[in-house]
Amino acid sequence: MIRIAAVGDIHMGPDSQGVLRPAFETLPDCADVLLLAGDLTRHGTPDEARVVAREITDLGVPVVAVLGNHDHHDDRPQEVTAILQDAGARVLEGQATVVTADGSRIGVAGTKGFGGGFVGRSAGEFGEPLMKEFVRYSRRCADGLRTALEQLAGEDCDVRVALTHFSPVPETLAGEPLEIYPFLGSYLLAEAIDTAGADLAVHGHAHAGTEHGMTSGGVRVRNVAQPVIGRAFHVYHVPVAARLS
Amino acid sequence: MTGPDAQGAPGAPAPEHLEYRVAHLRDRLAAGDLGELGVRIEVRGEAVLLTGAVPSARCRDDVRRLAEEALAGLPVHYDLQVTDSSSPDHAEELA
Repeated sequence: MIRIAAVGDIHMGPDSQGVLRPAFETLPDCADVLLLAGDLTRHGTPDEARVVAREITDLGVPVVAVLGNHDHHDDRPQEVTAILQDAGARVLEGQATVVTADGSRIGVAGTKGFGGGFVGRSAGEFGEPLMKEFVRYSRRCADGLRTALEQLAGEDCDVRVALTHFSPVPETLAGEPLEIYPFLGSYLLAEAIDTAGADLAVHGHAHAGTEHGMTSGGVRVRNVAQPVIGRAFHVYHVPVAARLS
Repeated sequence: MTGPDAQGAPGAPAPEHLEYRVAHLRDRLAAGDLGELGVRIEVRGEAVLLTGAVPSARCRDDVRRLAEEALAGLPVHYDLQVTDSSSPDHAEELA
């Protein structure tokens, strides 16, 4: 059994230093890895990223993160990424990483993802250049996730996890206004997950959403936005079934 | 709240409609120091209701201050929680 801790949307700012650290210091007792599902800052400034960095430095478990839309607001996502990497986090965008815990291999594929909506109610790649680029960007994010998951399929992982900020499914958005679903996620992410395969998908972004969902292909989805889970993180125990079957 | 029918003399600036004041407050919460997109703002009868979770008590106070500035003269109700940052007391078994 592999223990995956996850949280998103911690939205740290200058007044946040030390808020999560006491809970994070319990992670070695209850988890093998901590996943951060984006929106780690409020505006994506280096100062806010340094607050996050101090919260996650030397936690005793590997930390894997994706950025969220807030982390892009200051137009310096590379600086935010570098600050988190200096703190020991692996920050993914269309990439994969493998962490090991007690001999088990945990593969994580990550992308921020983007919006566009869900099947039958989604934006199309048509019309004005901005509209086409909106959908193409979402597709590039999903393609990056699929490629990363496919890479992990060849790396003898016991568990593969898809980590995104935007949601792959509408179920975990329940509680949000229906009208804003196209800004909260994209079915392209779910299609990537179901095409490449995964044991769990974790996302944030939808503060008023619901924790539990599932892709059409049967992959469990968890919305770990901190306002949704109401804790510093949640822990999921994933059986190592793939290797046994 | 004042509707278009209550406009004053021709040429005078129209009073701002409540729904636009709410929209502008939403923009201000998002674009300002708070960067807050997680607070829902809804018109409920003659009042405005703010709900949601914010990351700190200071954020909650800032949201209230901005709302009172933007919606001066209107009854405003708040149901804002500060996100709990305690450790979980159980794990979910994904059997």
